Amino acid sequence: MRSPEAGTFCMQPGSPAAGEAAVSVTDLTVAYRERPVLWDVDVAVPAGALMAVLGPNGAGKTTLIKAILGLVPIAAGDVRIEGKPYAEQRRLVGYVPQRGSVDWDFPTTVLDVVMMGRYGSLGWLRRPGRREREAALAALEKVAMADFRARQISQLSGGQQQRVFLARALVQDARVYFMDEPFQGVDARTERAIVALLKELRSQGRTVMVVHHDLQTVAEYFDCVTLLNVRRIACGPVAEVFNEENLRLTYGGRVEFLQRKASLEPPPADPGQPGWPRDARDTQGPSRGGLPRP
Amino acid sequence: MPVRHWGVAAALLALALAGACGGGGGSGEADGRLSVVTTTGQVGDLALRVGGDRVRVTTLMGPGIDPHLYKASAGDVERLLEADLVLSSGLHLEAKMGEVLERMDGGRRSVAVAAAIPESLLLAPPEFKGAHDPHVWFDIRLWLYALDAVRDALVAKDPAHAAEYTARAAAHRAELEALDAEVRAAISQIPAAQRVLVTAHDAFNYFGRAYGLEVRGLQGISTMSEAGTGDVQALAAFIAERRIPALFVESSVSPRAIEAVLAAVRARGAQVAMGGSLYSDALGDTGTPAGSYPGMIRHNVATIVAALGGASKEANAQP
Amino acid sequence: MLALGIGALSALATDYTLRTVALGSAALGLVSGALGAFAVLRRQSLLGDAVSHAALPGIVLAFLLTGSKAPLVLVVGAALTGWLASLLVLLIVRASRIKLDSALGIVLSSFFGLGLVLLSLAQRHAGASQAGLDRFLFGQAAALVGADLVTMAGLGALVLAALLLFWKEFKLLSFDAAFAGSLGLPVRRLEVVLTSLLVLAIVIGLQTVGVVLMSAMIVAPATAARQWTDRLGRLVLLAGAFGALAGLVGALLSSLVPRLPTGPTIVLAITAIAVLSLLFAPQRGLVAARLRAARQRRRLQVDAVLADLYRLAAQHPEPAAAPHAAAVLRAMSERHGVLRSLGRLAETGLAREDADGRWRLTPAGVAAGRRLAETGAPGAEPGSGEP
Repeated sequence: MRSPEAGTFCMQPGSPAAGEAAVSVTDLTVAYRERPVLWDVDVAVPAGALMAVLGPNGAGKTTLIKAILGLVPIAAGDVRIEGKPYAEQRRLVGYVPQRGSVDWDFPTTVLDVVMMGRYGSLGWLRRPGRREREAALAALEKVAMADFRARQISQLSGGQQQRVFLARALVQDARVYFMDEPFQGVDARTERAIVALLKELRSQGRTVMVVHHDLQTVAEYFDCVTLLNVRRIACGPVAEVFNEENLRLTYGGRVEFLQRKASLEPPPADPGQPGWPRDARDTQGPSRGGLPRP
Repeated sequence: MPVRHWGVAAALLALALAGACGGGGGSGEADGRLSVVTTTGQVGDLALRVGGDRVRVTTLMGPGIDPHLYKASAGDVERLLEADLVLSSGLHLEAKMGEVLERMDGGRRSVAVAAAIPESLLLAPPEFKGAHDPHVWFDIRLWLYALDAVRDALVAKDPAHAAEYTARAAAHRAELEALDAEVRAAISQIPAAQRVLVTAHDAFNYFGRAYGLEVRGLQGISTMSEAGTGDVQALAAFIAERRIPALFVESSVSPRAIEAVLAAVRARGAQVAMGGSLYSDALGDTGTPAGSYPGMIRHNVATIVAALGGASKEANAQP
Repeated sequence: MLALGIGALSALATDYTLRTVALGSAALGLVSGALGAFAVLRRQSLLGDAVSHAALPGIVLAFLLTGSKAPLVLVVGAALTGWLASLLVLLIVRASRIKLDSALGIVLSSFFGLGLVLLSLAQRHAGASQAGLDRFLFGQAAALVGADLVTMAGLGALVLAALLLFWKEFKLLSFDAAFAGSLGLPVRRLEVVLTSLLVLAIVIGLQTVGVVLMSAMIVAPATAARQWTDRLGRLVLLAGAFGALAGLVGALLSSLVPRLPTGPTIVLAITAIAVLSLLFAPQRGLVAARLRAARQRRRLQVDAVLADLYRLAAQHPEPAAAPHAAAVLRAMSERHGVLRSLGRLAETGLAREDADGRWRLTPAGVAAGRRLAETGAPGAEPGSGEP
């Protein structure tokens, strides 16, 4: 259900209001060894919106995020955050990469990882101090991971790892967030709690752009959606853009399958228990007293 | 490893063949000279003295080259194959050329001159199991055997000029015998207590045995081994205790280890000087006195006597 | 043995050679261990190997071009080709489909091969033996003198200072380079800096352990340290400490045993430390893991026997009064070690053995058995050892 306080409708790219978009991507083309990964993509994300980026595997969703953040070279096109180039706006941006993109066996603690979110504002030479620590703890409280602050990240479950990444992003105190598959491999309760967090961010006027994979939940979680398959198939408010025709164009064929997969009406609300999972039996982590570590 | 036997067998066979076939002449040059390829400069020097104008000598290992570590290049192998006669020092001195030389041996073309020395006269160090110390050229008396071996090989290859070779060999023998006497006289100038020769590797055992010096090397018989910390310490302790006035580096070996010994000795408060550089496994630059075998020996002896002989009296007086 | 050890340690203070070699080797171990920690964490262990092998052509070229046998000149040559090789590896990985391990293999073998060819070429040069070029293959630790120590200490201090300065950037870079990039950190330039520090660390050690063995001093200390700690700071410190210890031990051993080359001995020492750590570290060690698994199995066995006893007892109106022979329990389930489990139950007061050798549950045992049946856990056992 699109929340009534979503603010403006999602802008169509190229519309006059697109210049005030939180994120504005024009004619973006990214090629990998002369094979186009993104081709002539236009996306506009209005301020305070929750946008989903959808598409089949290899559609370029992660590449889109990385291109916006300047992590991959751009062959053509322009990216602006609140009207200015990304390089000038780094302080305003927060990033949650894919969980699988790091080695979780790295020797560091939960608190350490979250404090890394402050490195950008610390600059060179300065060490993280009390203020950074407090900010990190506050962020961990928000995702109910404060008890785990001294825990080795290798001892976390998938959902917990995702929460740590979220906390690190929260600590960046950004105006625009980019998240790559934050719901991947996460249990239902954690997923609901993350969505609640995203909506809270939105209510604070922040913008969130999320690479998403689950067609079932798009209408419930997001205001706007971008359908991507190397080219931009569609981009706009969910109600307008998230339809059979566009999904067929994006995912190709098998419309009945898609009809079964994608519900355009939100499913009956099943709130379940609110809040983060309690992890009662998990307080020692799976490695202690459990199976031996490889 | 019976390299010596191979050498003797080859020499005998060469003689027999020479007798039977009557002189395989030089396939070498149009000028009729025998092309002789030698490994070390010492052997090359012998070949020049005995062969004179009748031979064209090419030495593979030039001045300052370490024969223990020298690896033959493709060009070297070619030269060896095209030579009329290949002369090597032998006794595994040319350790990394072993296979190449064996191939020459198989063709009965190569002579290891040190193989001519009777085994009873050779030194067999305990660490070098089954093999002999190859640094035989430092005992001039032993090197005379090598001289004979060179003469025999040349005669076998070129019997037409046998008389010439024999005459030159005899002349050189007289020279070397005189040199031998010279060396004995010089070494006897060194006070008995100071007759200790400390060098980078154990190249001078024959020298020590022949001329009455105690010899200590840092590395072993071959420069392939690495000196350990204990070896440096032990040698430094030895030098300090015996109040040895000088130690020596070698022209074909890195001086770093000996310099470390020097520093260690001085750190113990003892006096020791850098006696100079000795030629151990190679001759000096061609054209200089040290570029010939007798010149090399003379240089070594002069250096040793100067360092260990007179100037040491002050060191002796130290507490 | 002890007297020998004490003698050796006192010699460390008094003997010039031992002191110099030990300090130099310890310095090398410290710096290479610390930098090696980052290489290992970033899955670039083999990079150390590639860089040290790639140093060989640089050493020989430096000699051929300058004719000088000064160690500093040769070491600069080593650093240049080592650095070049590392950049080449990074370039190959970025610009082609070739993966890191293949790129490392290609660069390592080609540079090293070039080095050997040049070495062969150089040996015809009169001064080559004097320069001790071949000594760079396996090092000549015993030949360290005071001047070498100064160079090593200076470079080493530089490297460690840089590490401290950029600590948090290197930490983030190693953990999550993408996030680092999103913060605006110059990821590529940082990678180059980190790799350059690694090259410097390697070059410091070349005189001591040589080109061929240097990679052990990069990889082994960090591998050993990883077994003992889960914090990055402690990992780097411990890796440095292990490296230094190996250097010290290698120097000591080499001074006690004649004709024992120092460089290889140091490498053997660090290998021993690594193997011991892999086996005996408390949490991650192989032995500890086996013990944990065995303990786990025993606990499961005890629970199973308790469950069987309870099932038997529950069929009687007075559960605590019903004794059963151990053979019955063995028959119920083909488990080994039934008697041992029964003994354990007796220790914890959950079961009792009768005079005729049959077993019964105590009231506490009955309660525990019930809990086990209902919840799948027998509840807190006194002295179970598990928090």
